[in-house]
Amino acid sequence: MHKRGIRGWIIPVLVLVSTLVKFCVGLGGYSGRNTPPMYGDYEAQRHWMELTLHLPFRRWYGYDLQYWGLDYPPLTAYVSWICGVVAHWINPKWVALDASRGIETETSKIFMRSTVVVWDMLIYVPALVMFVRTWQGNRSGRTQELALLTLLFQPALLLIDFGHFQYNSVMLGFTLLAMNFFATGQDLAGAVCFVLSLGFKQMALYYAPAIGSYLLAKCLYLGVPGPGFKHFTRLGVTTVFSFLVLFLPFYLPPFAPSVTSTMDPITRIFPFNRGLFEDKVANFWCASNVVLKWRERLGRSVLVKMSTGLTGLGFLPSVGTMLSAGWRMCLPATATSKRETQGEEEVAQAPFLPLLPYALLTSSFSFFLFSFQVHEKTILVPLLPITLLLSGAPVDSSVYAWGVLVNNIGVFSMWPLLKKDSLGLQYVVLLVLWNRLIGYNPLRLPSGTFVQLLSLATYAAAIGLHILEMMFTPPARYPDIYPVLNVLVSTPVFVLAWLWSIKCGIEVGWAVGGLGPASGSSSSGDSGVAGKAVIAGDDGQKEGRGVGLGYGKRKGGGRHGSLKSRTSSSSLLE
Amino acid sequence: MLQDPGMDSHLRKRTTDTQLEKDSTIPEEEPAPKASRSWFKWDIERTEWDLLLASTVLKLLLFPAYRSTDFEVHRNWLAITHSLPLSKWYYDTTSEWTLDYPPFFAYFEKLLSIPAYFIDPKIVDLSNLNYDSWSVIAYQRTTVILSELVLGAVLIKFTRSAIDTPTQRIISASIFLHPGFLIVDHIHFQYNGLLFGILLWSIFMARQGNKLASGILFAVLLNFKHIYMYLAPAYFIYLLRSFCMTPAGQPEIKNFVSLANAVIGVFLASFGPFLLMGQIPQVLSRLFPFTRGLNHAYWAPNFWALVTALDRVLLRFVERTGIDISINESGVASTSRGLVGDTIFAAIPNVKPIHTFIVTLAFQSIILVKLWRNPTYKSFLTALTLCGYTSFLFGWHVHEKAVLLFLVPLSLLAAERHAYFRTFILCSVAGIFGLFPLIFTPGESIIKVLYSIVWLVLVYVPLRRQVYEYPRSFIFVIMDMLEKVYLMGFPFLLAFVGLFPAYMSRRVNDTRTSEGQAAETSMEFLPLMVTSVYCALGIIWGYLRLLFVYLNEEKTYQGQLSAIR
Repeated sequence: MHKRGIRGWIIPVLVLVSTLVKFCVGLGGYSGRNTPPMYGDYEAQRHWMELTLHLPFRRWYGYDLQYWGLDYPPLTAYVSWICGVVAHWINPKWVALDASRGIETETSKIFMRSTVVVWDMLIYVPALVMFVRTWQGNRSGRTQELALLTLLFQPALLLIDFGHFQYNSVMLGFTLLAMNFFATGQDLAGAVCFVLSLGFKQMALYYAPAIGSYLLAKCLYLGVPGPGFKHFTRLGVTTVFSFLVLFLPFYLPPFAPSVTSTMDPITRIFPFNRGLFEDKVANFWCASNVVLKWRERLGRSVLVKMSTGLTGLGFLPSVGTMLSAGWRMCLPATATSKRETQGEEEVAQAPFLPLLPYALLTSSFSFFLFSFQVHEKTILVPLLPITLLLSGAPVDSSVYAWGVLVNNIGVFSMWPLLKKDSLGLQYVVLLVLWNRLIGYNPLRLPSGTFVQLLSLATYAAAIGLHILEMMFTPPARYPDIYPVLNVLVSTPVFVLAWLWSIKCGIEVGWAVGGLGPASGSSSSGDSGVAGKAVIAGDDGQKEGRGVGLGYGKRKGGGRHGSLKSRTSSSSLLE
Repeated sequence: MLQDPGMDSHLRKRTTDTQLEKDSTIPEEEPAPKASRSWFKWDIERTEWDLLLASTVLKLLLFPAYRSTDFEVHRNWLAITHSLPLSKWYYDTTSEWTLDYPPFFAYFEKLLSIPAYFIDPKIVDLSNLNYDSWSVIAYQRTTVILSELVLGAVLIKFTRSAIDTPTQRIISASIFLHPGFLIVDHIHFQYNGLLFGILLWSIFMARQGNKLASGILFAVLLNFKHIYMYLAPAYFIYLLRSFCMTPAGQPEIKNFVSLANAVIGVFLASFGPFLLMGQIPQVLSRLFPFTRGLNHAYWAPNFWALVTALDRVLLRFVERTGIDISINESGVASTSRGLVGDTIFAAIPNVKPIHTFIVTLAFQSIILVKLWRNPTYKSFLTALTLCGYTSFLFGWHVHEKAVLLFLVPLSLLAAERHAYFRTFILCSVAGIFGLFPLIFTPGESIIKVLYSIVWLVLVYVPLRRQVYEYPRSFIFVIMDMLEKVYLMGFPFLLAFVGLFPAYMSRRVNDTRTSEGQAAETSMEFLPLMVTSVYCALGIIWGYLRLLFVYLNEEKTYQGQLSAIR
């Protein structure tokens, strides 16, 4: 079809088709459907529209906390308020205060589903398009389209946002926009976007160490006493100012007269008074709890300290790599002053930008695995950076193998949740579709590699578990046997992926600037480590906007062949 | 093979003496169909697998979607055929959805009921009315998807034996992914994919020159669903002229006898058991209930929709101005009932079944005369399309779903040349839009619109370049502009249909008066009426276009299908 002028239509059609799929997924079940009195996430989101619409600011975080009290940061509240206004304009019954609790009419449901799709279209989809344009700007149009295809049809997000019902794509979209702005050198805009992401859902905190260390490294790179410090001040002021703007309505006297309610948003957003983990989640605590019974042995305060410590240890390597890269590649003073005179736009990409996705992956995985109060849905947070990495990777690279494995197992780890929401059909169908779209076949991965063996073993275990679950009801003594087994299958993959991301981060760190500040470009050819950390960054910066992601450009037939085998998956377009 | 078919056809168009050139190109392109003559050769390309997978994924995701009463109709038929002996099939009235398809379809349901029994015995329980557990939904929806593979198989055959393979691939894909099938089969629930699969097998046989098989398959199809009788005149004339006679006009008795025997055999296989039991009158009374009105509940976008709308407008006019015209009182009542039930005109003389029959026959005879004189494959295909088209436009109690009867064969002609392509786009847009009211639930409505837009883009963009021709006179330029304006109207129509109910409910909420209530009831059907009138305009115009093209076909350049004898 390419030859026939459909070229320009590919991206609009891809977006349209993905929207169609989102609505089709929306035909299925959602969290808490038809389960009074509390319902589920769907009702929580709808309830927030109702309470933000009808109540003044100061009561938002304090209204009837037992029934889905607002516990997300302010941007979610504002977004809910906008949705509430629209809903009220269409049909006031959908968001009538208190009276609308548990409303599940056909039209109100489709309104709610549409709000998710609309916010996704406004923030996440443009961010994805911008991502392939900036981060893969030096790749061919076809590769970019394939990357977009990979990202648009990522099953985990489709299932949770458009099936289970949440607005994760808004939070992820703002973080992605921040990454895009970092890639184009607009650090301040990026910082604002990341604050918005944090302001939408506190889960974005999982990314904070990576983003923070990147910005710090950028300051180091610019030269500490001079321009670096200036940059740091600007970033600090911008960040603080954006936070203030977000939270201001809750602190300004007319809205928040009482001192006691001042802390409401903060305490609501960070619920340390809840358990170590909820339900069954495939992280370190839940998996080791099978044997070690943490909650019976240790008090909550000890566990909080332990989890904080382990999380910090978990993301430390990526922060260290990032900062050392910034330090080692520090621009010579002369170059800095020259650039200084030419204006800020010239200091576009930092050479260690390719580290950013790996750092995001490491830090979000460390939070997912070790931090306090993690939900199974939170796997979406590490899935974003790994899918971004995967989106442009050749089929025979280890990034591709890991990316698909973690994605598939990520979806698998949410199976108990999806089953509860009666999204079983959608679960199978979207997994099959996505794996086919990206041309995945675990048997055809580079044979004998560790990741292939791991993939095959994990898939066998996962499929076996599904078959067991279909054939036998769990014994009365262990009603949770299947979710626990699910956790035991998934957690090792996530732990290994976290270690792998640390390893890759270090490799890419070497590759981008192993031999010191001046020779960053010359070293890019000879690092023969498994990550194949050959960086296209140098080409990219000169030819157009593009970032090497650690698998970069591989020369010769390997890359060509692999691209070819992947493109056949997009033959739908032909 | 052709390197760039678009370029090639463009060149061929420009050449005046194409006959000679075509003769020289045919031998090069011909070997492909001969090679793929075997029936069970497993040659499916990767692209086709991908298309199949993508469309199946979409259809699977539609499992929980809205289902019309047709779903229960078919479930009831599973129950009837499974739990009753053959002799009672056409007598059972346990459910109001009695068996009213011909016997082959009943046998098909019998076949489906066997696995159904093993999956969930409650599916085939006759008294278990309106059963809607997940098992029956998944099972019945799966049977639709699987039976549609018949359609997919024949479309691959069409692609393999095409003269211009890339173009035929697009056309085949466009039929397999037709929004009509998605709306009617996979949301609303019917088995059109299977039935059109059989129709296309029959057309494919005609294309390959195996006219006996074509006739037999058509007879089989008629015994699956008798609505395909709309197409029968074209089959009758075509087979009579080209199979039972030599080109010179001499009768071919042997062919005639074999065809007649085969067709009678098919009918015997279907109706035989009921003939032996003496139930033919009962079966026929089920198949042809002559107790229905001119229009279906929602007016199909055909000629009678325009006439009915005219009547409504005239009535208003008479009521406003007080002109002394005799008004049929029951007709006035009919308008206030909106669109449901029998249509009785208030101002215009009433239409009887015999009138619609005569008009249909008159138009069809024009087409059939042309077909008699020029019984080629392409002429047959066009005549077939036009026959279905005529019946849709002028028939008695036509259902909007019948629009597929001509949209599907018309698709095969889409890339013939620009005039056909234009007709195809106009008819498809108007026809598919005319199907939209079938799905009225909000969630599915978004899906039907999005899907249709994607389909239109993926069909329109690649095909348009293939067939583009410069308009040759001023009239064509005007026509082209008017058609574009008409097509541009659809987004506005969509917006109107979508927003009008919200607007009305707000108004009623605001006023809360008896006047407001009355306004609501009388305006409730306005979006439906506007839809069917607007679509009817495009569909009638498309009919005139196609009729004109068919009757005045150019001899110099005719497109790829003209090469088939």
